[in-house]
Amino acid sequence: MKSNFLSVFLSLAFTFIILTILIVVIGKDPLEVYSLIYTDVFTSGYGIGQTLFKATPLIFIACGLAVCFHASLFNIGAEGQLNAGSFVIALTALQLDSLPLVLAIAISAVAGFTAAGIVGLIPAIIKVKKGVSEVITTIMMNFVILALINYLMVDFFAVKSTLRTVSIGDKNMLGKASDIFPFFEGSSLNITFVASLVTAFLVYVLIYKSTFGYKLRAVGFNEVASKYIGIKVSKVVIASFFIGAGIASFAGLNFIFGYKGYYELGFSNNIGFTAIAVALLAKNNPIGIIFSSILFAALDYGGLAVNQLIPKEVMLVVQGLIILSILSSDSIVRNFYTKKGLV
Amino acid sequence: MTKIELRNITKSFGNFTANNDISFCIAENSVHCIVGENGAGKSTLMNILFGMIKPDEGEIIISGSPVTFASPHDAIAKKIGMVHQHFMLIDDFTVLENVILGDEPVKGISLNIASARDKLKELISKYDLEINLDEKISNLSISIQQKVEILKLLYRDSDLLIFDEPTAVLSPIEVNSFFEMVRNFKNTGKTVIVITHKLNEVKEIADKVSVLRKGNLVFETDNVSGGIDISEISSAIIGGAELLTIKSKDNQAKSGQIIVRLENISMTSNKRKCLNGLSLSLFAGEIHGIAGVEGNGQAELADIVCGIEKDFEGTAEMPAERASIVPDDRLKKGLIMEFTIGENFALKRKGNSYHSEKELLNSSEKVINSYEVHAPGPEVKLGSLSGGNQQKVVVAREISSGNEVIVFSHPTRGVDINAELFIHSQIVNERNNGKAILLISSDIEELLSLSDRLSVIYKGKLVRTYETEELSNALNNSEENSDGKIHLVNQLGKLMTGVSH
Repeated sequence: MKSNFLSVFLSLAFTFIILTILIVVIGKDPLEVYSLIYTDVFTSGYGIGQTLFKATPLIFIACGLAVCFHASLFNIGAEGQLNAGSFVIALTALQLDSLPLVLAIAISAVAGFTAAGIVGLIPAIIKVKKGVSEVITTIMMNFVILALINYLMVDFFAVKSTLRTVSIGDKNMLGKASDIFPFFEGSSLNITFVASLVTAFLVYVLIYKSTFGYKLRAVGFNEVASKYIGIKVSKVVIASFFIGAGIASFAGLNFIFGYKGYYELGFSNNIGFTAIAVALLAKNNPIGIIFSSILFAALDYGGLAVNQLIPKEVMLVVQGLIILSILSSDSIVRNFYTKKGLV
Repeated sequence: MTKIELRNITKSFGNFTANNDISFCIAENSVHCIVGENGAGKSTLMNILFGMIKPDEGEIIISGSPVTFASPHDAIAKKIGMVHQHFMLIDDFTVLENVILGDEPVKGISLNIASARDKLKELISKYDLEINLDEKISNLSISIQQKVEILKLLYRDSDLLIFDEPTAVLSPIEVNSFFEMVRNFKNTGKTVIVITHKLNEVKEIADKVSVLRKGNLVFETDNVSGGIDISEISSAIIGGAELLTIKSKDNQAKSGQIIVRLENISMTSNKRKCLNGLSLSLFAGEIHGIAGVEGNGQAELADIVCGIEKDFEGTAEMPAERASIVPDDRLKKGLIMEFTIGENFALKRKGNSYHSEKELLNSSEKVINSYEVHAPGPEVKLGSLSGGNQQKVVVAREISSGNEVIVFSHPTRGVDINAELFIHSQIVNERNNGKAILLISSDIEELLSLSDRLSVIYKGKLVRTYETEELSNALNNSEENSDGKIHLVNQLGKLMTGVSH
C-alpha cells in the first residue's frame, strides 16, 4: 500500500517536471500557466463543478475497467462498450418519457448496462473458447461497434443532417447541481456524480470484500492455481467482462440525462482510452479512481483554460506521461523495497 | 586425466539446501552420468557448473586451475556447453540463424554467413547430424531440434557437453541414435555429462555414475564395460537404507466402497501419449499410492481424478463433486501468494458473500492454530511464509473443504521434516475419516509408510499394483529381517525405471 502511494507520487512528480520543461520549451512561463490553471479550476465554483462533471464518466468507466484489470484482463474496449451502452440508454429513454424520471433512468440504466455487457461478452467468450488475447479483440470491437452505431444512427435514428438522436426533452432531464447549490455557478455538474461515487464504493466492495472479488483477483494473480483451487476460471473471465463493460455504459447517464438529453456520435471523445490511464494511476483501486478521475478531469478542463497560452493538446501529453511513468515507477519502487528487504 | 573437478560445492535457497558439500571429478574424454530423483540437486549442480547459479561455497577447477563463472558466457568461454531440457530455440529462425545467434561471424559490419555455413557443414558431416541448415525450427521434430542444440555447442567449440534429461523427449529409436552420437563425441575427445534418471540408459553409456539424493552425493561407481549393478544404484537413488525409520501409519484400513474408477484411460497432450490404457480403482478409507519416475503420467492422472482435465479417452466414474487436490507445485498451482491465509480459504467458498477483515483474520488464525502453521501473524501474505508452512496451508485448505476424494501430489516435496511428519499424520487422519486418497509421490519411503495399496506407473500405465496384504507382508518381515523391504524396494525401482515388468 505504502509502495503504491510512493510510486504514484514519483510518477506525478516526474510528469510535473517534464510538463514544466515542455512549457519552457514552448516559450511560456510555467508559473503563469500553473497559476492560470489553478485559478480557473480550483478557485471558481464553475471550475470545480465542470471538473467534477468531467470526472463523472471517468469514474464509471475506470471502475468498470478495474474489474477487468484485477482479473488480468486487459480490456481496451471500453470506448466501444460505453458507446453501445449509451446509445441504448438514449433509445430506451426516448420510449419512456411518460414514466417518472427515476423509473425511466433506472430502466434505461439496466438496458444500457446489458447492451454494453453483451459487447464485453464477445471478446470474453472468444478468449475462453479459443484463447485469443482480449487485447486484440477488444481493440477491434471498438471499430466494429462504432461503425455499427454510425450505421444505425445515419440510417435510422439520427435527427436529419446531425449525428445525434432526438432529445428526450427538458422535463425528462436531471437538474443541475447549481439549481440547488448556487456555488457551482451553472456548471454542468449533476447528480450522476454522486451515483459515480456510489458505484466506486460498490465496486470497491465487490473487488476487495466479496467472494467473487477474491476469486477475480486470484485469477488475476495466478490463473493455474485458481484452476486447481477449484475456481471456474472461464466463468470469472466472462462475468468480469460483463460487469466491467456494463458499468462503463453509465457514462452515458451523465451525458444523456444530465447534460445534453440525447446520444451523439463521438460524444465520448476517446474517454474510454483515457479511463485506462485513470485506472492505472489508481492501481485499479475504485476509491483511488475517484481521485485520479478528478485529476484527469482537472487537467482536461485546465487544458481548456490555458488554451490561449499553450495548446490544450499538451494535456494529452501529460496523460501519456502519467501512464509511462506510473508503469516504470512501479518497478523502480518495487526494486527499492526489495533491496531494503521490506517486501 | 581429470577434466573438471568440483570441490565442496554448497548451495542453499533459503532454508533448503540444494547441494550440500558435493565434490567429484569428471575424467577427460569420458561419459559421466548424474542420477537422482527430482529435487535431488542435479539441475542445481549443473547450473552451477554452467555459470547460471553461483555456489555459496566451493570451487570449480578446470584442467588444474580454479575458475569462477559470473554467467554462462564465462562457462562457454571455457568451452562448456549445455543442452537444457527445454530447448532454447527461436521457432521462426532457421537452423543456421539459431546456431550463430549470439556468436555471429562478422566481416566489417555485415554478417559473414558463408564462413559460418562452411564450419557448420563440416561439423554436421563429422558427427553425422543430418540437419538442413536452412530449415525453420518450427518444421523440425523434437529430436532434430535437440541436434540443433548440440550443433550450437559444437559451433562454439565446447569440449564439455552437459545434457539435462536428454532422452526424456525421444522415442526409443531416437534414444539409440542419441547414444551413438554421445559415443562419437567421446571418440573425438570430448567429455560428456548426462543428467538422467533412466538407469538402463546409464548402464549403456556411462563410464562413471554419481548419485545425488536430497542434495548430497551418496554413491559413485565406475561402469566397467556395462557391468554396473542397477539395483545398487536404484536403492541409492531412493534411499532404501532409511526405510526403517518412519512408521506413522496405523494399519487399520477400512475397506469401503469404490469411489473412483478409471478404466482404460488414454490421453495425449502436446502430441505425446502421456496416459496409455491406465486403469485404477480408489476405495473410501484407503490411501492408494502411486510410485513412478516423474513424467510417466502422474500429473495427468492427478488432473483427471480431480476433474481439471476432461479431454481423455476411456471411462471415468467419479463423484459429482470435484476432488480436492494438493498439487505438486504449490507456487504455481497451490496458492495465491499475494493473499493471506484467510483469503486463500475464502476462495473455496461457494456463492458470493461479504468478507469482513475480521472474519478473514479469524479464519487465518484458526488455521495457524489448528494446523501448526508458523506465521508472524494472521495478516501476512502467504508469499512470506516458508515452503513447509505454505504447504501446510494448502493441505489444510484442501482437507477442510470436506470432499470425498483427496489427491496428494508430492505432498512433502521440498518441505522440512516437521512439516513432512505433520502432513503425513493429516493424510492418515483423512484416510481414517473414510476419505479416498490418491497419493502420488517419488519418495518411496513416504509411499511405503502411508499406502494401503501401492501401484507403479510407467509410461502412462499402472504396471503393477501391490495389494494391502502383499505390502504388509513385505514390510512386516522387515522388522526381524530387513530383506523383505529391501527386496520390495529393489523390485519397485526396477518397475519404475522400466527394467522389468
